[in-house]
Amino acid sequence: MIGTKVMLTLPHRPIRILAALTLATAIATLIALVLWAIMAAATGNSTGSRIDIPHLLRMTSIQAGLTAVLSLLVGAALAWSLNRLRFPGRDMVVGLFASAIVTPGMVVAFGLLSIWGRNGWINRASEALFGTSIGNPAFGLSGILLAHVVLDGAFAARIMLARLDAIPSARLKTGQSLGLSAWQRFTLLDLPAIRGTVPGLAAIIFLLAFTSFPIVLMLGGGPANQTLEVAIYAAVRQDFDLVGAVYLATTQIAVCSLVILAASALAPIPTSFGASTAPRWRDAGLAQALQITVLGLCLVGFALPLLSVLVDGLSSGIGRIVAKPSFWWATASSLLIGSASALLTLALALTLALGRGATGRGIVRTLLGMPAFAYLAVPAVVLSLGFFLLVRQLGLEASFAAPFVVILANSLLALPFAMATLGPPLEAIARTRGKLIRSLGLSGWQQFASVEYPLIGRDIGVMLALAFCFSLGDLGVIALFGTQDFQTLPLMMFRALGSYRGNDAAAIAAILLIGTVVAFVGLPKLFERIAHAAR
Amino acid sequence: MLRVEKLAFAHPRQTVPYEFSLLAHAGEVTAVSGASGSGKSTLLDLLAGFLVPISGQIELDHENLVPLPPEQRPLSLLLQSESLFEHLSAASNIALGLPRHTLKAEQRQKIAAALAEVGLDGLGNQQAGTLSGGQKQRVALARTLLRARPVLLLDEPFSALDDETRVVIRELVRTLTVRHRWHTILVSHHANDVETLASRRYVLRDGQLLAI
Repeated sequence: MIGTKVMLTLPHRPIRILAALTLATAIATLIALVLWAIMAAATGNSTGSRIDIPHLLRMTSIQAGLTAVLSLLVGAALAWSLNRLRFPGRDMVVGLFASAIVTPGMVVAFGLLSIWGRNGWINRASEALFGTSIGNPAFGLSGILLAHVVLDGAFAARIMLARLDAIPSARLKTGQSLGLSAWQRFTLLDLPAIRGTVPGLAAIIFLLAFTSFPIVLMLGGGPANQTLEVAIYAAVRQDFDLVGAVYLATTQIAVCSLVILAASALAPIPTSFGASTAPRWRDAGLAQALQITVLGLCLVGFALPLLSVLVDGLSSGIGRIVAKPSFWWATASSLLIGSASALLTLALALTLALGRGATGRGIVRTLLGMPAFAYLAVPAVVLSLGFFLLVRQLGLEASFAAPFVVILANSLLALPFAMATLGPPLEAIARTRGKLIRSLGLSGWQQFASVEYPLIGRDIGVMLALAFCFSLGDLGVIALFGTQDFQTLPLMMFRALGSYRGNDAAAIAAILLIGTVVAFVGLPKLFERIAHAAR
Repeated sequence: MLRVEKLAFAHPRQTVPYEFSLLAHAGEVTAVSGASGSGKSTLLDLLAGFLVPISGQIELDHENLVPLPPEQRPLSLLLQSESLFEHLSAASNIALGLPRHTLKAEQRQKIAAALAEVGLDGLGNQQAGTLSGGQKQRVALARTLLRARPVLLLDEPFSALDDETRVVIRELVRTLTVRHRWHTILVSHHANDVETLASRRYVLRDGQLLAI
């Protein structure tokens, strides 16, 4: 028998592996039940639906494809600029772009309407100065693309910037001593560094845009620009066409699965960012002017809509909205659901990641990584449609099941991001310190309490912040399960928009944005401090 | 006495397996040297239980260690680096060498005694990551003292140290080995370390241990 080094240097943790396998099986069973509910509803109703699936598929694909291309271009330009420029507050600017991943889509959409909409800042300024309007570029395909590029471009920039910041300093010193021009530096040093991220990023951005819900719902402007996800919502909530919804959901799952299969063969995306130790090497002249211009445009494009949300929200309807009891109910629901989802996500991700880190067996590792793909294959609206059908088929009262379903669905949606946050550091600890942990004979609890928890405290905070913010800004799940008595802040905002109460919507958008920023900045710091105290 | 008898192992795609045999006595340092890639680390991994041999014996006072998993083997391990958890204090690192459920007061007393024995009085609260290379190795040796295992495996433990510290830590290893009757096995490619410390010397050549 020839032993393998990896297996034996990993601490022996059968309970962790068993718990993770049990959990993965439970999640797989749940997803299977959801899919079964969808398929059963499709086969049980043979009456035809009038939904034009090919048209929706074409529109969704075009929109997602354009979003991916534009976001990658904007992301690369922004990352290039941020990598070169050094200025006071740079870390804050990088943090601002990093927050794109958790900024609720409907808040960005609302901000874009405030800036570029018919009654937005630009139109008002244009009419005051030139007596003419620029129209409504925030509506329709252009609006959808703008909103997606704002969010996904910033996301892409953050990933690419991490790669650029990680270019070895020796390589930069060599380049600098050779006197490379800005263009040579980009092609010889930068491009090879970021090229590896492009296929994986393109696939993820395509999927995010393909399954985008609140942005298309708010900015789509009618059936012409509708996507599959919005069409499912419309079929269930507006047309009561369950069969059509099921056909759409099946199409969406099939396409998403194909993209995931393709994406899984592509290079992975780094999930943690190391501090840059590279020497300072600024570009000069034209290149620097271009970098300043790019950064300025991106800051205006990303920060201005958010600023308008705050200005409009805090100046107009905030007093009126906080006087409404329904606002406080919605706030309480949002906070409770957000907290419960975040804690459930932590439990799920930690169990799976600890189990995955404890084994070197490829098949077990693959099985334990699979629940993370649940969201990508079965997006929010489809997942909630499946739950909706399942609850009906089980004969449960929808209003009773709603809070639990919303918490569970939000947790599953946050799971891939949570796994991507907790998985790599736990794996790194198991592999780099496994020998020492084993030779000292530490118990599983000792390993967690003394080694893992103090080291991943900040990651736990990041993960909780991500899950909380995703849940806080979610509209896809609550849209199907919400009622007059059970609503969250995003649903309340959406309803306010639907009934032309713009001031209420603005106030809620501002509150959502503030809540998201506080959670995204505060939770990682809080948990880092708690974990530090545990050392 | 620690006796390694025809301990065989082959890495994947390795055509001729290693076959190790050696003797190590209590209170002595037994050194193993050899060129890079000669199998020094493989030997230590086999002794520590991180690799499973194809065949052969590892006996400590006639007890066969081969079936035991790493955590149950009667040995301590001191590596070139990463012997400590750098985010923990020196005292917390040493405490990991004590049996679980040791009372706090007893822990404090034993840790203080171990720190004193390796010449680090009063440094228990310092975070391991902020210690110098020599101090880190002393903390790891203090933990070894509390684990009270009869075999100490040293994997290039002095490589990251400057010349002055190297001499001091080397002397500390020799003193502790004699005092606590450890079977210390030193793997090193530094001739000076081997000549200064070892009572018994082996060299790895062509996958075999040759006594010198």
